[in-house]
Amino acid sequence: MANWNKIGRIFNPSDYVEIQWLDQFAQAPATLVFDDFVRVYFSCRPKPIDGQFVSDTAWVDFDRKDLTKVLNIAKKPILPRGDKGTFDEFGVYPTSIVRNEDKVVAYYGGWTRCEAVPFNVAIGRATSSDNGESFTKEGPGPIISYSPEEPFVMSGPKIRKFGSTWYLFYIAGKKWISTSRIAEPVYQIRMAYSDDGITWKKENKDLIPPRIEEDECQASPDVFFKDGVYHMFFCYRKSLNFRGKEGGYRIGYAFSTDLINWTRDDSKSGIDVSESGWDSEMVAYPHVFELDGEIYMMYLGNDVGREGFGLAKLSGKL
Amino acid sequence: MVNWKKYGKIFDPTQLKVFSYCNEFAQSPQVLKIDNGFRIYYSTREIDETGKFLSHIAFVDFNKDFSKIIGKSEKPVIPLGGLGTFDEHGIFPINPLKVESEVYAYTCGWSRRKSVSVETSTGLAISKDGGKTFLKTGQGPIFSSSLNEPFLVGDSFVKKFNNKFHMWYIYGVRWLENSQEEPARVYKIAHATSDDGMVWDRNGETCIPDKIGENECQALPSVEYHNDQYHMVFCYRHAMGFRKDPSKGYRLGYALSDDGIHWERNDDFGGIDIPNGEWDRDMRCYPHLFSHEGELILLYNGNEFGKYGFGLAKLEN
Repeated sequence: MANWNKIGRIFNPSDYVEIQWLDQFAQAPATLVFDDFVRVYFSCRPKPIDGQFVSDTAWVDFDRKDLTKVLNIAKKPILPRGDKGTFDEFGVYPTSIVRNEDKVVAYYGGWTRCEAVPFNVAIGRATSSDNGESFTKEGPGPIISYSPEEPFVMSGPKIRKFGSTWYLFYIAGKKWISTSRIAEPVYQIRMAYSDDGITWKKENKDLIPPRIEEDECQASPDVFFKDGVYHMFFCYRKSLNFRGKEGGYRIGYAFSTDLINWTRDDSKSGIDVSESGWDSEMVAYPHVFELDGEIYMMYLGNDVGREGFGLAKLSGKL
Repeated sequence: MVNWKKYGKIFDPTQLKVFSYCNEFAQSPQVLKIDNGFRIYYSTREIDETGKFLSHIAFVDFNKDFSKIIGKSEKPVIPLGGLGTFDEHGIFPINPLKVESEVYAYTCGWSRRKSVSVETSTGLAISKDGGKTFLKTGQGPIFSSSLNEPFLVGDSFVKKFNNKFHMWYIYGVRWLENSQEEPARVYKIAHATSDDGMVWDRNGETCIPDKIGENECQALPSVEYHNDQYHMVFCYRHAMGFRKDPSKGYRLGYALSDDGIHWERNDDFGGIDIPNGEWDRDMRCYPHLFSHEGELILLYNGNEFGKYGFGLAKLEN
């Protein structure tokens, strides 16, 4: 039975008042391990203009021997937002990272703004030749776009390589719910696979059955292979009234032996909200990684990472 | 000597209103042959509560010599998409294609954006009743933006040649920011192939060289095989000023090819762009090419993007 011992918040954007592009939010942590440090990519936002946010992705390096100690932080976001009319004009969030030979490859959600609904998202790809410090986009358009069964809100990519195959876990929108205030999307977890990371074949299957309601929203499908089993930690929330503790994000769990058929058992996620503090209302956007014989989870707390991300360490077995 | 003989306007949407809430526009006429004549699909427009247009697909049936209207659609042929979908704010144009006992409709779906006016993608809907009603293959598009075709994929025209589906379509290359107007889109014609009409391979190149500069906008490619050559008609315009200034507006363009891949642009072919009269004097656009009993036939729109209907022409040798 997994049990995650919380180490606490390790990154708070409010500690960096001098950085203009990092006002609030440090969302969707994703790790890249180096000899002496662990680079954590996260998405952040400058101060909103007219109440409207944009997102960028940047990184922060932690000491490999002490993951609470910051060694270095990016000088600027890893990618510019897109040109007028492009899919990523208003945001690069979230970002997932993988090594590929001597390069580092990023998959990210690119945000545009719409009239009838507030936004749409498609998945882009970018490559780094300098160990993940800066990236160049593969092209001005998305690498995974909309299709008959995945009509909008393609986001939350998590890139993995198992054997010689690339797998991309992501979310796809199912519907928009009209409310008196603003339309809210419903999205659930999907998957595609590829031989080269460029040309993708969608599985066109919902991987995780909804549990708390039919319109449950699922995000951050973080897949981790250990002892012959694929483990997925993800987060889920209600489709409406999700901005507080009651309907807000929690971390769920599923396992699989073939990456396509998953058994959901949230009772085994081993992590929940705290009694008080930065993660007392929500736990969200899990990312699981192994380092020097230990297994860790990074995750977001209240307000989906407005005040940063934290770290937990596994005790027991997955 | 080849000559495009113009027969004038054959349909005026202000004279025959197919839907009570659509008063004007019959854009991008496209043909499906039916037993006793031709079904011509087109896009007509409703004005929504915000004052903006919504394009709907309608049809009128003509007899075999286009002299008489013998039928019409009673309601939009394909409903617009639900909240947040790619075809929420309009379908324009639609390209019908007979595939065995079914009719495929390649649709160009419109959805409105904030920083630019619109985004488009190609959808597919299928009819089992001879093209009267269609069912969408899904809520989303079958052919959309990709790495190097980043937005405004649409105007798909599909035909089967040598057992392969060929699609000519357009994609956006840039949005021009300028102080006089809203951001202005620039788009070009490209080509893709498919074995089933649903999953497409793009070849990644534009088909038609620019004539009026790199910001030439090319639209509505339509292709037919006739007298041992592939013929393409399309329309092109300047990126800005094209709505009000007739010298910047849409013109008909022409290209010929031996293999359907490599095209020789020849906009003067048969005098295709010579106006027929008052109705197409300022603008000629949204062409559709098809052959029937050995004749090459053209439908196209005139002034104001087809606000007052479409006309007919035939190629004479």
